[in-house]
Amino acid sequence: MDSLISRALVALACLCVLAGCLVVPGASTPSAAAAGKTITMGTSPDYPPYENIDAAAGGEIVGLDIDIALAIADKLGYELKIAPSDFDGLIAALQSERVDFVMSGMSVTEERKQSVDFSDIYYVASNMIVSLKDSGYDSLDDLAGKKVGVQLGSTQENVVSGIEKPDVLKLNKIPDLIQALKADRVDAVIVEDAVAAGYAGANEDLKIAAIPASDEGEGYAIAFPKGSELTEPFNKALQELKDDGTLQQMIDKWFGTESTAGTMGKGGGLHFERLEKYFGYILRGVYVTLLFTLVSAAFGFVWGAILSLFKLSKVAVLRGFSTVYTSIFRGTPLLLQLALIYYAVPQLTGYNIPPLLAAGLAFGLNSAAYLSETIRGGILAVDKGQREAALSLGIPYRTMMFSIIMPQAVKNILPALVNECVALVKESSLVSVIGVADLMRRATVVQANTFLAFEPLLVVGAIYYVLVLALTSVARLLERRMRRSD
Amino acid sequence: MIKVENVTKSFGKLEVLRGISTTVERGEVVAIIGPSGSGKSTFLRCLNLLEVPTGGTIVVDGVELTDPKTDITRIRQRIGMVFQHFHLFPHLTVMDNLIFAPTRVKGIAKAEARDKGMKLLERVGLADKADVYPSKLSGGQKQRVAIARCLMMDPDVVLFDEPTSALDPEMVKEVLAVIRDLAHSGLTMLIVTHEMKFAREAADTIYFLDGGVLLERSSPEAFFAKPQTERAARFLEQVL
Repeated sequence: MDSLISRALVALACLCVLAGCLVVPGASTPSAAAAGKTITMGTSPDYPPYENIDAAAGGEIVGLDIDIALAIADKLGYELKIAPSDFDGLIAALQSERVDFVMSGMSVTEERKQSVDFSDIYYVASNMIVSLKDSGYDSLDDLAGKKVGVQLGSTQENVVSGIEKPDVLKLNKIPDLIQALKADRVDAVIVEDAVAAGYAGANEDLKIAAIPASDEGEGYAIAFPKGSELTEPFNKALQELKDDGTLQQMIDKWFGTESTAGTMGKGGGLHFERLEKYFGYILRGVYVTLLFTLVSAAFGFVWGAILSLFKLSKVAVLRGFSTVYTSIFRGTPLLLQLALIYYAVPQLTGYNIPPLLAAGLAFGLNSAAYLSETIRGGILAVDKGQREAALSLGIPYRTMMFSIIMPQAVKNILPALVNECVALVKESSLVSVIGVADLMRRATVVQANTFLAFEPLLVVGAIYYVLVLALTSVARLLERRMRRSD
Repeated sequence: MIKVENVTKSFGKLEVLRGISTTVERGEVVAIIGPSGSGKSTFLRCLNLLEVPTGGTIVVDGVELTDPKTDITRIRQRIGMVFQHFHLFPHLTVMDNLIFAPTRVKGIAKAEARDKGMKLLERVGLADKADVYPSKLSGGQKQRVAIARCLMMDPDVVLFDEPTSALDPEMVKEVLAVIRDLAHSGLTMLIVTHEMKFAREAADTIYFLDGGVLLERSSPEAFFAKPQTERAARFLEQVL
């Protein structure tokens, strides 16, 4: 039994290494304060023109913030690495020292100052109201008592306080807000001017109205972990960029040609033609999603099989462990497990776990909890005479389990295993929250780039569906093969 | 060969074996008979520790099975067992059923094991079935494969647990013929059976069990001509 477990652990380790080797196109692996002179920047690349993924081209992250960061890193003699993640995960990434600094159109607020240090302000943006053409909302006063959408964790949350009795809807992503607007879920959305102009340009049914710059003049700044030694040199470098006019040139560059999507198409309706140049980028996400599914399914199956053996073991400690394990992993949300593993592992162990490995681990661990029960059922369903026949031939327990009982158990539970794989393909979309460029993440990126809220989702939805269909037919072939002994 | 001393077995409160003692000689063929529920199968299953006796000792070839330190897996390689319901491995072909244990447990080369497997299949009359799956075989064929599988390990003893009870009547004969053939070859065998005619012809010794006690142990001639106990006489009256 001991060598059975150690062999399984070796298998697990191999899977982990495999997962670690996965190269995610379009996303650089974060490694905060790594050896040498590299420096890692956290950003949420769905906010053109500050930062977005140049999906039509090579998938690089580009934008005003990137240019500024590159210029500063250059001045200070660092090599810049970019770690994409969701906006509301950025502060956590700083605190867990997963990244050295954050530039992501992040404005200075009192609340944020509690957890991070800020540089001087490098850009002051104003906000705009985006609403449907015939709404007639031109100022904050018009929005009294209306339903208003803002991005969660953004500075626009504060702007809403200028509205009388607002009914505020906070969503993670701006494309979702725009979609909510179009679906009449909100009456207006408040976003930053450059972003608002982009959406108004790409969607003929939207109009924008400027909000006069309010009191304190909040602006965007670079965020650092509390007490970071980088704040000072960054401020100095930033000042130099301001003084010699470089910063202004960059601003002009990005805001002068900001209408990346252009204004094509008339009125409402769907505009898939605008997605044409992004298809390559989206399709590369299939590779990431499939690879991820494969790794977590394999890991989940191996670990689940071990857990199921624990549950059937005579050793009370093993039985207790696997019971508690299953109960915890089934009893808490997967998204929470994912976030915990991704953010807690670096903080607790100092090992900067790459996003895809963290995701593979979280999904594998979670899936194993479910599969261990399924496999246990499958093993119990194998006629006990099989066990007796194997024992009476002098076959050792381990060989009997792996070569006699398991193959029959797996055949019994194949439909359930296929279910689990299909679920994994779809659940894999959760990894986009930690910045893995899977299909779902890529849909978000294209949403941001094209200012189209709906179409990229439809395209990606269709791809998921085709993936699941393909998986199901492969499973059917496999099942037929296994049933040849019937 | 086999020395059984005062073996008892209880399932909870139910006492199935109440102290059985006996000795089986090398090459002896024992038929174990008795009414259902008498503990025949439990006794047989104790001999390779599929059931662990509650008390008593079992010594096979000088090795005490009931000693917790004994490597029972190794001992079982020398004690074959044939079950009422065959228990062939359904996901393996007939040949793979045969060579699994020799190749995986004893480390015998595949080619060598296959040669031996073919010979044994010929012996049980199933050489043409080597590559089919068990689901394609009749009950009698399955049982003959199971016997061949057990012989692949070159056992010193073979335990037969009601080998013909799950078979259609017309298939009983072919299986009994194989077992009879083995009995003549000098293999030590213990057979739990309801086939009185077969027991009389093939066995060297008859054990009559009732209520978990070994009531009679005698030659077939003596047992079937004149049983010593009234219980055995009544049993024979019912089955003959």
